[in-house]
This record gives sequence, structure tokens and C-alpha cells, in this order.
Amino acid sequence: MEYSKMTLKELREALDKDEVTSEELFQEANKLAHQYQEEYNPFVTIIDKYKMKKKKDTIITGIPYALKDNISTSNILTTASSNILKDYIPVFDATVYKKLKEAGGVLVGKTVLDELAMGGTGTTGHTGIVYNPWDKTREIGGSSAGSAAAVALGIVPFAIGSDTGDSIRKPAAFGGVVGFKPTYGLISRYGLFAFASSLDHVGCFARSVYDIAVVTNIIKGYDPHDMTSLKDDGKDLTETLDNSIKGRKIFYIKEICDRSQYDKEKDKTVLEVLDNFYELLDKMKENGFIVEEVSIDQDLLAAIYPTYMCISCAEATSNNANLTGIQFGPRGEGNTVLEIMFDARTKGFSELIKRRFVLGSYILQKENQEKLYLNACRIRRLIVDKMNELFKTYDGMILPCSGGAAPHFNEATDQLSERYLLMENHMAIGNFGGFPSITLPSGFIDHCPIGINLTGKVKEDDVVLNMAYQIEKITGLKGMKAGDERCMK
Amino acid sequence: MYEVVIGLEVHCELDTKSKNFSSARNEYTHIPNINVAPVDLGLPGILPVVNEEACRKALKTAMALHCTTPDEVIFDRKNYFYADLPKGYQITQMTKPMGRNGYLDIMVDGKTKRILIHQLHLEEDTASLDHYNTYSLIDYNRSGIPLMEIVTEPCISSAEEAVTFLEDLRDVFLFCGVSEAKSDKGQMRCDVNISLKKKGETKLGTKVEMKNINAFNSVKAAILYEIKRQSALLDEGKEVVQETRRIDEDGKTYSMREKVDAIDYKYYVEPNIPPVKLTDAYKEELEKSIPMLKLDRFEKYIKEYHLSEYDAQVLSKNRDIADYFEEVLSYGSDIELAVNFVTTSVLSSLNKLEIGLDEFFITPKMLSGIIDYVHKGKISLDHGKKIMYQAIEKKKDPVEIIEESSLSQIDDDQVLLDYIKAVFSENPEQLRQYLEEDNQYVVNFFMGKVMQKSNRQANPNRTLDLIKQQLEERKKEYEGK
Amino acid sequence: MVSKEDLKKYASKLMFDMKEEEYETLEKEFKIILKQMDLIGEIPNIKEVKPMTFPYITYDVEWRKDEVDENETLTVNEVLANCKHQINDQVKVPKVVE
Repeated sequence: MEYSKMTLKELREALDKDEVTSEELFQEANKLAHQYQEEYNPFVTIIDKYKMKKKKDTIITGIPYALKDNISTSNILTTASSNILKDYIPVFDATVYKKLKEAGGVLVGKTVLDELAMGGTGTTGHTGIVYNPWDKTREIGGSSAGSAAAVALGIVPFAIGSDTGDSIRKPAAFGGVVGFKPTYGLISRYGLFAFASSLDHVGCFARSVYDIAVVTNIIKGYDPHDMTSLKDDGKDLTETLDNSIKGRKIFYIKEICDRSQYDKEKDKTVLEVLDNFYELLDKMKENGFIVEEVSIDQDLLAAIYPTYMCISCAEATSNNANLTGIQFGPRGEGNTVLEIMFDARTKGFSELIKRRFVLGSYILQKENQEKLYLNACRIRRLIVDKMNELFKTYDGMILPCSGGAAPHFNEATDQLSERYLLMENHMAIGNFGGFPSITLPSGFIDHCPIGINLTGKVKEDDVVLNMAYQIEKITGLKGMKAGDERCMK
Repeated sequence: MYEVVIGLEVHCELDTKSKNFSSARNEYTHIPNINVAPVDLGLPGILPVVNEEACRKALKTAMALHCTTPDEVIFDRKNYFYADLPKGYQITQMTKPMGRNGYLDIMVDGKTKRILIHQLHLEEDTASLDHYNTYSLIDYNRSGIPLMEIVTEPCISSAEEAVTFLEDLRDVFLFCGVSEAKSDKGQMRCDVNISLKKKGETKLGTKVEMKNINAFNSVKAAILYEIKRQSALLDEGKEVVQETRRIDEDGKTYSMREKVDAIDYKYYVEPNIPPVKLTDAYKEELEKSIPMLKLDRFEKYIKEYHLSEYDAQVLSKNRDIADYFEEVLSYGSDIELAVNFVTTSVLSSLNKLEIGLDEFFITPKMLSGIIDYVHKGKISLDHGKKIMYQAIEKKKDPVEIIEESSLSQIDDDQVLLDYIKAVFSENPEQLRQYLEEDNQYVVNFFMGKVMQKSNRQANPNRTLDLIKQQLEERKKEYEGK
Repeated sequence: MVSKEDLKKYASKLMFDMKEEEYETLEKEFKIILKQMDLIGEIPNIKEVKPMTFPYITYDVEWRKDEVDENETLTVNEVLANCKHQINDQVKVPKVVE
């Protein structure tokens, strides 16, 4: 049997029928991890010893999985893909890791991310670039690059990531897998290395919506260590997946999806994406969804990206001020404490990180705070208010994840037109309002996957997953891994 | 001459079981790094979880200081780099402090002065640094201990006012039970801002800041020294430099660093701590738990109980004593006697035994029992006090002691008269002095003799009456002769 | 306008330095983002909007009971596990003057 093609659900069945043991699954995953490491670089650390310490039997008991390397794991190196943490071995477990461990999940490795989760390309980790399993000349996207790649390569059936702007949902789309960021607070952030606390989410990758629901069930729940975590709602997210979606209303944003604004020559791929998108919408309507076009103020939409930059960089500057090499991390050189901090940080952060910190710090400066930081926080409210207003009428919002398949490494990003920027960055809306948001494969461009994103109301993760499950049936793109023959159609 | 303008920033560690944002122990210890949770070390991935009791105590203090309290509690981050700050930011309160615009009345030179409180907020303490010859060591035990900061308006005008305010503020902490406020343990520390200006001038002078002074007498010394130093500079027409100074053991202050430009702490709302609403019910309940403060009690004792200023001060100075005194009164005891007992016998017993009221055997109820006997004239004041000491010694209820001895108390006039007559005849000289020289002092002499003769069983009040009556009769006889 | 010198100063306050050419990239980035933020400032009535910190507010959050959790407390070895510079169970740093 080729386990790497199987979903979590299928692996569970195989385990239950004693067709395979958990340890055999682990050995297979470990073998694949090593096999693909040189070519695609998904891992910072590969675990070579089988270890399972369950406290109870669950659907994931005995199933291999991977964790993004910004999730705290005691006694296992956790680097956040940054030189400043290159030797850091945590002394406490993140809640999400603890839950997975107790549920019997078997950790295969810690995956590469964009340094400190700040980036969307998968190219800035301290151990090197992560390559797209579908096409090595392309990015996988980030920041949860290694987790997306590990699932897309079939090394593990599911992996944990984090999402501050679209860090799970973007690489999921580029990797042809499902990526889900639930409602803010559904999954504890305790132990997730903070990037921007008010936008950070823990979430997961898998090869089917069902698997996403299974994993989310395991890792969700109130955590006394995280004051922003939600009280338990007792929902079993798998139970409602197959509910009828007849009459479910969803909208898409005209200002992003209107074909007429794109140029036939220059924006060829965007138009291909939209062809795929509208084709899907038509099928969805046939299946009972009500889909409508909604218009949102262009200025508000254009503000999404700068707002995201301002808030995330501001919070990141502060969140990473603990990285000084004093009580942990490589010690800098110097004659005073401030000198050794200065040296450690100068050497420990890459250029991109530093630029974002300077920006974030500038935004928070007393004289700029009103105009930059607070205005960004105001725009955030306007956008979230607008969404909540729409969610009174609609159950969800659907949009393409990006203006094309994963970009090639040589594509310069600053050539993006402003409308293109919108297409690429709208998923931060989900982080602004803490909305549950899922990405699933919707088709292919140049044999590489593209995805759609579905976002719903806060605390209605069940509804979002239910709709996604039905959309997955419509696309027929469940259980994909890189090179899947469906891409040739 | 110059007017002195002083503002104080007082830091006080709150007495809680656990830290402000983690459940590591909040205790003062010399063993390094034993009370440290990941949160206190600023490890990647940590999240703060707010301690309910710390909020409660800070709010209680804010209310005791007559501050307005916020509608909801949120925190802010104060960002700066320093060796003792593991997260690179301190969680504190800027947007909505626990208290604003309060005051504390203090008494200086017999006059009440209102010290205005600008704000009171809750934050976390830093790690502590120990300095050696060539290096420093960081101990994270203190990191994250709940710290309350109280900032006054610049309205203090002398060292004496500053120290009185600090002492009274400490009393507020102790009265409210929010902190031990021991300055030798660094639980109460103070930053002093001081400037001088010409009398009548409205513009403030250049401010000098002195940080982290523990002992109150150091605060006093530092202020006095600064007044002298700054006056001398101004007299010479020189300028006072805006700077931070430290106080040394010699009581002099030394420049630490000139103020370059103010540090921008880039405050912003802590996103990991969602707002918690303060309901009216919560605030009312908290308000009720606040005991009367020192000066309020002082005034009440004078106005309502008609105590002398001296007695009122002695009784209101310490919360335990004041509570004890008030409880004695709550049993309906005579005020004058209660004052007498508490300010003399009780305090001296405590002193002698070197104990606090919590260990004191005589409860307010017991004391009120003794006072009742004295008040009704069944025993003398002196006897009452002796009973109290006996009770302490025997660990026995004083009223029981009184009742046992009063079973054999002699109340019968005939028996008492027999004693008196016997005493008169045994001491003719003293009797003569009364009759011939009208010497009133012999009354007490005879009283003592009767008590002695009766083994202290004679009813003292009745005996005194009878002695006086007998002496009068004899005098009439003597004069009639 | 933010100059390269300003940027250097800001970076040094954040306890790091960058290469010359990196400051140049940063200068360009600043221009773009500040221009975008200028546009945001022009959104009508923006000043009247209450800044948003939390994605949503439920007001059902409770503070932690004041109890010590020994399980959460680290051992001294754990406290110092990632610090090579230590003496007497404490983190050693160059002498802090002040």
C-alpha cells in the first residue's frame, strides 16, 4: 500500500484493520522525510525515533504528523527558522503539541517556515528555501512552507501551521492541499512563537476537509494558559460536514473578481484563475448554494495590505523583543549587556526581519502612533464591521486564494499591480476579524494547483467546514499529493 | 528662598500567592530562580494570564485612595530593552489604569494636607540583578511579581511631607491588606522627582529624578540634599541640569546620567489580555471591604469619641490597634476606660511580650468584660489592670478571675466598718493628722491598710465611701468637743 | 520624510544594525507604506472610529484564580537550559552599571 497517498481517515481504517502498525507508518513517513529533504527542504528537524505517548485513543492515535517549527516542543529543537533561535530547545510544550501528543499523534518532524513566520514565500528560513513539490522552480508560499510541503509530498497526512495573514491558507493553495485557520481563540496559541498576537492563529493542513475537521476537533478547546481562547462549545466538527447546504448564501467581492478590470495579456493567469473560480461558482449554484456578488468600497479593500503591515509589524517588533541572547539563544559579543544584545540581534535576524521591525517600531513611535498604528487599528475595525454586516445576510465569503498558481522563484514581487495586490492579500481579512477561513484546491494552472478560500462567521467553524466539505465534493479534488494525475486534465 | 516641588512614584509589590501573569510563586527568597514559569522568563510562545487577586488588590487600593476606577480592565505593553526585562516589554497599564485622580490626606505639623494621586496602575516587577566586580547575575524570581505603581501630582513641598505621605501610604497598604510593604525587602520603592522654583513663580524648575530609593529616611536625606544642592546652584545663577541622580550611603546624591531624550516606550494595548468588565456589584463589594484609613479614624476618634489628639493618634496609628480598640467599643464599653486600657496596659503588654495583637491573649471581648466591672465600680481601675495581667499569665478569662475573687469580696458594711475602726485605732497618728490638720492624703493611707487587712477582698468603692464617712463623723465629734 | 540616518537610529534603538544597502531598501519600503497610510488617513471620518485591538470581544473572559501551580514552575536547570553563561544558578551578563 502506498500510505503517502492516503488521507488520515484511510490510514485510520488501515490501522484499525491491522493492515499496518503505527510504527510502520512512522518508519515510512521518516523514510520519505529523509528522501525528500534534500530536494524540497520541508524540515528543520526530522525525528528518527518512533515515540507515542497517548493518554487516550482518538482518530489520530498512531498517525504521523508534522509541526511548524515555531511551536514549542520540550526537548526538541525549535528554531522558528531563525538564526537567533538556531539552538533553542524549549522547556515547555505548546498546548497544541500537548493535545496531539496525548491524542496519540506521532511527530515526524518540525517544519521550515519563513523566518519567525514573517513572510509569505517559504524562502527566508535559516535552513534554506522550501521548494514547491509540484514544481521545484516555484515557491510553496509561506510562512507555513514546510508543513504545506510535507503534506503535499505525502510525508504526513496532516501538519500543524500558523496563520497571521494567510500563512496557512496561501501555501495550502500553492501545495494543492486543504488549509484551515479556525476562529481566533478556538485553538490555544500557548507555545506558538508570537508574530502578531492579535492576528496569530494555529491551524492545520490535510488532504481532505474531513481530515481537517478531525484534527481541529483534537486541537481545539479552552486553555487556561491563553486568555484569548474560547470556552468549549462541545461541537464535533466532523458531525455536521455532510449537512445539506441547500440555501446557504455566500458572496464574493466584485472589486476583486470582476474580469473587466484585468488585462487580457498582462493578467492572463488572473483571468485563468477567475475562469476556474466562476466555473466552480456555477457548479456550486447547481448544487444548492446561493452565490451573490457584493461590492465593497475600493479604498477599504486597498487598505487591507497596509493595515496588515502596520499591525503585524508593530506587534512583531514587541513580540520579538525577547530575542536578545541573554537568557536563551546565541550570546552576542560586547562589553555591556546592551552591546551583547545588539550583537546577538544584528547577527541573529535576517534583513527582511529587521526591515519589518524598524517599520513596526516606527509605526508605534509616539509621534506616528496616531496616524499609523491607530489608523490601521481603525481600518481594521471598519473592515471587520463591514464583514460582520455582510455575515448577517451571508454564511460565508468565497474568493480565489491568489492571482495564479505558486510564483516562480525569479518572479519579482514588486511588479504587482495594485489590483493584483488585492487578489494576493485579501485573506488577511480572516485574521482581522478572527473569522474561520479555509482554503481548498479548486483546479490547476500550468499543472500546478490553485485554490479557493472560504471565510465564515466567528464561531461558525462547523458551518465553514460543512460548506467546504460540500465544495470539495464538487471539485472532486480530495486527497491530492504533488504530481497527482488530476493536474494533467 | 525657593519653593520645592516634589512628585513621587511609588512602587509596591502586592501580596499574592502567585505572580501577576503566571502561576509561579510570589515569594521573597534568597535561592535564585526557583519561582520561575516560562512566562516570567519571556520564553518564545508564552502568554500572560492575569491574576484575579492582583487586580482586586490594586483596585482596592485605588478605591481607598479615592481614585476613579475604570469601566473595564485592560493592560498595555511598555517596550524597552534592559537586562532585567526578559520579554523586552513590561506589561503595565496606560490606557485605563486601575485608578485616576485620587488623593490621600496627610497630617503635617498639625495641619491636614491633601496629596493628589495622578494615577495608580498594576504592572509586573522586573528580574533582579546582583552586581559583582566584573559581572552581574540575573535572578528571575522577582520577574512578574505584581507591582502597583502610584504616581502623585507634583504637589509635595517638603521632605517631611514626602516622608509622611510615604508612611501614610504604607499604612494604607497595610490597612487594606494588599502588601507587606517592607522597604528592606524592596517591596516598597520610590522614585523622587524634585525641582525648585522662585517663590510665586508659576513655571516649574528643571526636574531632577532619583530612582529606586527603598528606605524612607533615604528619601528624606535625598530630598534635603537636593534642596541644598539645587538652591546653591540657583543662588549662584547656575542652571540645574535635568538628569537622573542616585543617592549614596553618605546621604549625598550623585549624577547617574543626563536626560538625553525621553525614551519612547511605544505603549500599545496588550493583545493577549482581553478586556474584563468591572461590574457595579464587583466595585460595591470591593468598596465595602476597604477599612477606614488612619486619618479618617483619627478624626472620628476626636469628633465622635472626644479623645485627645494624643490618644487618637496612638490608637489610629496602627490598623490592628485601631481595629482592636473599635471592637472593644463595639461591646458597649466605656470609651474613657477603653482608651486608658488600650493605650497603657495593652500596648505595654505587647511591648513587653514582644508580640502582635494576633498573638495577644486578651481579646477585645475579654477586655470589655474587665472594663465593665471597673465601670460599674465593682473593681478599681488598678485592680482591673492587675486582673488583665493575671489573665495573660494564667491564660484564663479575666472575667472568670474577677468572678471567682468576687465570691469572697466583702460587701457587708458591718464587716467593712470593723476593719476601718481597727485600722483607725492602730494608726492614731494618721487619724490625728486628719482631725487636726485636715490632711486628706490619709484617706488613701487608710484605704490601703483596709485592703491589706482584708486580703484585698474589701469592696474598694464601698470601703472608700465608708472611710470618708467615718472620718467625717469623727471630725464633727472632734470639732464639737 | 524618513531619512536613512533616521532609520539607522530606529534600528539601533531596536538593538541591531543593518548593512548600508539594506537601509536603502528599507527607505524605499517606507516610502511605499507611508504613502499607503496617507491614503488611509483620507478615509472619511476615520478619526471617529474606535481602534480595534481584539478580533472580537466576548466579555466572558475570567481572570486566573490566585493559586500557585508547581507544574508550571520551571526547575533551575530548565530556567538555565538555553543559557551557556551562568554562575550560581543565575544568568551571567557583563556588569550592569546604574
